[in-house]
Amino acid sequence: MVEGKPSGRLGRRRILQAGAALGAVGAVQVTSPFIVKALGEVPIKFGYEDPLTGSLSIVAISEIQGAKLAVEEINKKGGIMGRQLVLYVEDSANDVGTGVEKERLLIDKYHCNITFGDVNSGIAYAVAQVATEKGVLHIVPGGHTDPITGKDCTWNVFRICNTTSMDANAISNILIKKYGKRWYFVTPDYAYGHTLQAAFIKDLKAAGGTYEYALLPIAASDFSATLIKAKAFKPNVLLNNMGGLAQIDLMKQFVEFGMEKEMGLGGALYEVEEIVAVPAAAQTGWWDMEWWWNQPGVPHVAEFVAAIKKKYNKIASARHWFGYVAMYSGKLAIEKAKSLKAIDLAHALAGMELPPEVALQPGKVFYRAGDHQLMPNIFAGEVHPPPANNPGNFFTVAEMVSAEKAWPLADTGCHMKYPA
Amino acid sequence: MSLATAAAAAEALPSAQRRLLATAGVWIILIAAPFWMPLVGGYTDLGTRVIVLGLAAMSLNFLLGYTGMMSFGHAAYFGLGVYGAGLILKDVTASTPLALVAGTLLGGIAGVVFGRLIARTRGVAFAMITIAFQQILYYVAYKWNGVTGGFDGLRGFVRQPIHLGPLVLNIRSNDLVFYYFVLAIFALAVGAMGLILRSPFGRTLLAVRENQRRARFLGIDVNRHVWLSFSVSAFFIAIAGALYALLNNFADPSSMYYVLSGQFVIMAVMGGMRTFWGPLLGAAVFVVLQNYFSSITLNWLFFVGLLFVLVVMFFPRGLLGIFQRRRAA
Repeated sequence: MVEGKPSGRLGRRRILQAGAALGAVGAVQVTSPFIVKALGEVPIKFGYEDPLTGSLSIVAISEIQGAKLAVEEINKKGGIMGRQLVLYVEDSANDVGTGVEKERLLIDKYHCNITFGDVNSGIAYAVAQVATEKGVLHIVPGGHTDPITGKDCTWNVFRICNTTSMDANAISNILIKKYGKRWYFVTPDYAYGHTLQAAFIKDLKAAGGTYEYALLPIAASDFSATLIKAKAFKPNVLLNNMGGLAQIDLMKQFVEFGMEKEMGLGGALYEVEEIVAVPAAAQTGWWDMEWWWNQPGVPHVAEFVAAIKKKYNKIASARHWFGYVAMYSGKLAIEKAKSLKAIDLAHALAGMELPPEVALQPGKVFYRAGDHQLMPNIFAGEVHPPPANNPGNFFTVAEMVSAEKAWPLADTGCHMKYPA
Repeated sequence: MSLATAAAAAEALPSAQRRLLATAGVWIILIAAPFWMPLVGGYTDLGTRVIVLGLAAMSLNFLLGYTGMMSFGHAAYFGLGVYGAGLILKDVTASTPLALVAGTLLGGIAGVVFGRLIARTRGVAFAMITIAFQQILYYVAYKWNGVTGGFDGLRGFVRQPIHLGPLVLNIRSNDLVFYYFVLAIFALAVGAMGLILRSPFGRTLLAVRENQRRARFLGIDVNRHVWLSFSVSAFFIAIAGALYALLNNFADPSSMYYVLSGQFVIMAVMGGMRTFWGPLLGAAVFVVLQNYFSSITLNWLFFVGLLFVLVVMFFPRGLLGIFQRRRAA
């Protein structure tokens, strides 16, 4: 307040005094009394971190949509053991440091009972380490690199999507049979790409094939130099191992260069989210689907597909299914263990078979106790432009490969140890 | 005494006592942070992150705010601190003190070497060369899979408890103990930084910042002082990097990416680059906003950017600079 002015004006000092007085009154009036809540009023908390921004967001968003659908269903049916389920979603921004911070946020701030994530293998690896350090059950719905449930497996970490070795082993023989043994890989330079390419090379070498490759940054967008190199190598098939937006860009540029006339196209994963984003000419090649929506006669699949269509106006994808399975896996584990302790949940989930309304495919789908890897079917087949009357039907299943066959426990390198 | 009279009383004090009072206030807030943070929705690890990144921003500010040289490449030395500590813990020995020393030396020595080359340039060239050296180191970390783990980063190491005779500091599994361990290292680092800035060398840096030509006429070797300032700043930011490795228990190339360098600059400018504690406040605001908004919206960077623009437009001296300006008026 300026000296000499009338003291009745509302000055800084008076505002501070009033603020302090209000604060003191507020502290007494606003804080709630200490009432112990009944257990049924305390929600069960799941925390999910995924790259909702960045080059993998296109698939991460589907995972979260599948998870939210499951949470909605679970809560409509009375929650988990009478308690509502709350899902906290955080953006890892496709960055390892941010992902780790978000995992700590989910555990330390929100006190989540189970955590989930990440699509990015490198982040999945790092956040699983944080969950282990904090003693929290962690499920990796969509990060494929082998060691998570392979040589670096831990008692508290489970995985839903396939490993890179599973995906490579399921399609390798088909690619050799369809195209030949001279391959060119375009691979992202991180954990997923490395292990995927290594698995393909192992299969190719066993068949006496030859190869060349280009390792590119995960978020690469210009592939012209790489495609020129690939052309010069004259391969039978180009394996597009990139993911998300990078894979879409590569598919588009492959077609723009007219290379589909010179060589085949294929790889481990070409996901629904990516196929719908490319021109019809780029909807081609032989690939795996980790789950496929068009399974006539398989119970509950049509309901799930319809629910996704109704809620999000999208074709149900493997990523939707991962998120959906993730939430139900947590629910089933808690109900079986009748506990929220990570060690009890881990024991409950190990070896657990998913019920048909969650498995959404034929046969037995279960978490293998020896490495905590979900064992579903792998849908190997051909991608093609869809017929006019069914725009989502751009994949034809040629073979259903069992995950057990694609990645036997003995090949994983996992030696599962539980704390005493 | 009411809050208003306390504020009035503080303003009436001589500047030395006021500084002492402000410093005491900062330390009380930091020491008590694990107890008040949960009340406002925070958690201990978030506090640790603020201190580590605050130290990094203050280290950059040694060069930026006190020497007047803009570096957009300081994440390089921060990242080397991260990798230095991580590699020691993973491949050499499970010793936290050794990891800290190794990280500091790796980042600091790189700062001395690159600083020697960078210090000859000025203005835009200076900023561009700092980015260039940083990108070289970034791509080495990105591509050298066998040593650094490439894009996936360096994993498989964990900070280890510290044995002080019969006393064991369990920084491995006790977040609170780790917070105070980081705070102690922070105190040593900023204490040393404060002493350097108050020394004749520190005063000379201010002279360089204010007018390089006049400093040169006074016989000051400006290039040498810029180089020394760059080197000291690199050593301090490498300490922050080593602490960051201990905080996350992993290292990855994003810790030496240009985006992080830009964030350090934002923290320093937003907090007040002409103040000692300003960058710490900037780091706190940045980290807390990032943490808060990214839980609400995917467009969280927009809000952080908006705040930065508002601060630059309306408080060009930064958030702490508001008090300086008021006193000056």
